[in-house]
Amino acid sequence: MRGPEIERLYDEHAQPLFAFLLNLTRDEADTRDLLQDIFVKLARDPELLTGVRDERAFLIRLAHNAAIDAMRRRGTRDKTRENFAAEIISPFAPTGDPDEQTFRAALADALVELPSDQRAVVHLKLWEGLTFEEIASALEIPLNTAASRYRYGLDKLRERLRPIYEEIKS
Amino acid sequence: MKMNDDFEQKLRCQPLRQVPTEWREEILTVANKVGTARRAVRGRLGEASLPNWLSTLNHQLSTILWPHPKAWAGLAAVWILIFAVDFSVQDKSPVMAEKSVPPSPEVVAELKQQQRLLAELMGPRDKSDADGSKSFVPQPRSEQRFEIMAT
Repeated sequence: MRGPEIERLYDEHAQPLFAFLLNLTRDEADTRDLLQDIFVKLARDPELLTGVRDERAFLIRLAHNAAIDAMRRRGTRDKTRENFAAEIISPFAPTGDPDEQTFRAALADALVELPSDQRAVVHLKLWEGLTFEEIASALEIPLNTAASRYRYGLDKLRERLRPIYEEIKS
Repeated sequence: MKMNDDFEQKLRCQPLRQVPTEWREEILTVANKVGTARRAVRGRLGEASLPNWLSTLNHQLSTILWPHPKAWAGLAAVWILIFAVDFSVQDKSPVMAEKSVPPSPEVVAELKQQQRLLAELMGPRDKSDADGSKSFVPQPRSEQRFEIMAT
């Protein structure tokens, strides 16, 4: 794959892939490595995108598989918890509003508690705006599974964040 | 439900962190180096090598087949069904032949009698007929045929 094509792919997809990977790994170094691996893979095997109808869905699938492999390989789950205790790795942008900052920190914390499969679906639904069909296609899971994972994940987040959410609302 | 929608909306509004800007150059530099090296290796191996040829063929086939993969799968299934039916019919034919009843002695005798009658009607073969070297001599139209038909 030529330079301009790789640059186009990066400019169009790096941001959502970064956010998705960061939400899954909660480790900036891992996220950088995985993001680089994805683009190196695309540069090495240009045929990967041949016949692909939806680049975003395909790249999300690559990112998801890479993140799962990395978490298994490196034991990132334990590592993430250690990092989380030492340094807050939030997938959300910082803000000057203390209430919002508290809510974002609590949300980031609650997301870590979700199983990675639910977290992936919740992320893609809420922050990528994908439909359940698109999520099912990207993660190679049945449509009903995508919907149920989202429902379970959202219920857990709601339960966990209810106090702070009610407080901010009032 | 309203509270659920509000909650979902609240989550959806949370802005995500931006990818560090310096990553772009770093990642693209590495990716471009790998891509260039890969192209150089492929160039050395030759464009007409078998894997490349297969890759091109695969690419072309994928392009042709991709728009309607289900239709092609259906067509393949129909062919498989046709082959299956064909094989099953072929399997039955010998069984049917084996099960057919052998001709009775009366039929055999009748056939032999008809063969004898035909031989008599045709008349004895001239030994010289077997000799291929004999030149063809035009003869009057055989009257024997009329005799045979009349018989």
